[in-house]
Amino acid sequence: MKNSKITFGILGIIIVGIALFILNLFVGSVTVPFDEIFKVLLDDNPDKTLSVIIFNYRLPQALTALLAGASLAVAGLLMQTLFRNPLADPSMLGISSGASLGVGIVILLTGAISGTAVSSFGWWSTIGVSLAAFIGAVVVLFVMLAFSSRMKNMTTLIIIGLMIAYLAGSITDILKFFSLKEDIHAFVIWGMGSFSGVGTSKMPVFAISIIIGLVVTFFLSKNLNILLLGEMYAENLGLNLRKNSVIIILVSGYLTAIVTAYCGPIAFVGLAMPHIARFLFKSSDHRLLIPATMLIGMDMALICNLIARMPGFDGNLPINAVTAFIGAPVVISVILKSRK
Amino acid sequence: MEILKTSALSIGYDTKTVVSNINVTLNEGDIIALVGPNGAGKSTLFKTFSTHIKPVGGKIELFGKDLISYSPKERAKLLGIVLTERPDDMFLKVFDVVAAGRYPYTGMFGKLTENDENEIKVSLELVGVNHLIDRVFNTLSDGEKQKVMIAKAIAQNTPIIMLDEPTAFLDYPSKIELFSLLKKLAKEQKKAILFSSHDLELLLRYTDNLWIIAKDQQFVAGNSTELLKNGVIKKYFGLKDTDNDYLLK
Repeated sequence: MKNSKITFGILGIIIVGIALFILNLFVGSVTVPFDEIFKVLLDDNPDKTLSVIIFNYRLPQALTALLAGASLAVAGLLMQTLFRNPLADPSMLGISSGASLGVGIVILLTGAISGTAVSSFGWWSTIGVSLAAFIGAVVVLFVMLAFSSRMKNMTTLIIIGLMIAYLAGSITDILKFFSLKEDIHAFVIWGMGSFSGVGTSKMPVFAISIIIGLVVTFFLSKNLNILLLGEMYAENLGLNLRKNSVIIILVSGYLTAIVTAYCGPIAFVGLAMPHIARFLFKSSDHRLLIPATMLIGMDMALICNLIARMPGFDGNLPINAVTAFIGAPVVISVILKSRK
Repeated sequence: MEILKTSALSIGYDTKTVVSNINVTLNEGDIIALVGPNGAGKSTLFKTFSTHIKPVGGKIELFGKDLISYSPKERAKLLGIVLTERPDDMFLKVFDVVAAGRYPYTGMFGKLTENDENEIKVSLELVGVNHLIDRVFNTLSDGEKQKVMIAKAIAQNTPIIMLDEPTAFLDYPSKIELFSLLKKLAKEQKKAILFSSHDLELLLRYTDNLWIIAKDQQFVAGNSTELLKNGVIKKYFGLKDTDNDYLLK
């Protein structure tokens, strides 16, 4: 693909992203008039209520979607290249299952110790759930790192990741079985995914942790490119296989863990966005694929957030119901189009 | 000039020795064929030389220094390999594959300099596939893929190139073409070439020396013609007298 075409493509994705971002600010259960958005953003004597809606709810939510979309998409790209498997995604490391397990443990323990539901602790329960999800994800991440540092064979590693995911999933199910009804409801809601959990107060920590992770992925592009030749060739070209897979798993696990902790386990974005990037740019060069995948992930997350919040749905449609519903046809059409 | 030397080398996996007591040298300009039945340990030897697996015993010296004392990056500039496995990415181009050979020489983001781009083009020209540079690797024929992988090894600019069964899957004319290419690399570029092959008749014609891994896991090295004359090849390959006479002609 020619350089000018690549620039054109990237610019197109960015423009679509900006349009989606603005749409995200004024579409919702309360429709904000177009000119009011600019009044609010430029602080030009805006309507107080609308200002609160935009700054406290819609802006953080759109930013969360942006960052989460980019993170999950690029984490999926890293997994697919590392495992040389087009079906790989961050959930293969068992990270989302680990996060769910963390949440499950907290819910059961509070229920068992205090006799009351977690949800009755109000604001503390959301922090507790995020923290539990993060700890659960990180524990599984370290288990995977321990395995990856001892193994050169990616197929065995992928099987171990899936087994850990199943194991964590079944423990979660057992915990749920013993939990209070109110908490199971809270757990189900968390599991559906949402970009509204970060809010203004938690945004700085969330944004900074995500941006650090995203920046680091750019430094992996050379090693990822060399991995495309196969492990034996990569090793002969001077790549330390074990060290490299530890770093890739660490970075993609880190991004997934943070997003899952704040937004719940969001499916599909990590699996599908790298394919859209590859087919759109017909490239396997990670110096292009990494930024392209991030931008496409951002756009997709913004679209999904927009649809989940369409006026008719009263702001409650779970993100996980939307991602695949919107994403799957897009992936199929992109693939069919490029096959012509 | 002596490039690679093994002393009392035993190869295998963990504690299971496949072949033991290998004492050979690889010199500048050598073209050596590694022969033996499937499963005898040819690939194991390649994996040991490329440090994918550790030797079970003995020593490998590269330019007089222990092979494992080199860093992976340094080693990547000394020994290039061509394997039977192939990249199978959907969008990977021929250029990208050969450019990978420059990996040990590029910086943090793998940006290619003018010199790198030049090396890539020269390598493709040397194996005669420069017209394929923009093609997707996956769409090439077996013979073309093989040549591109060799171009990758040439771009890697190493004094040693090792090739695991480079003539498998190739038709007869391509085999001859490949053998003369390897010979050209050895004689003109002064590279040490080690490759494994089952094409006994052809390799006797194109190589100076043979390394034989026999069924009983013995290792024999020597001049191709001599090994043929004194009946060693006949013995290890279980050839009939008539076949041996045919090869001697």
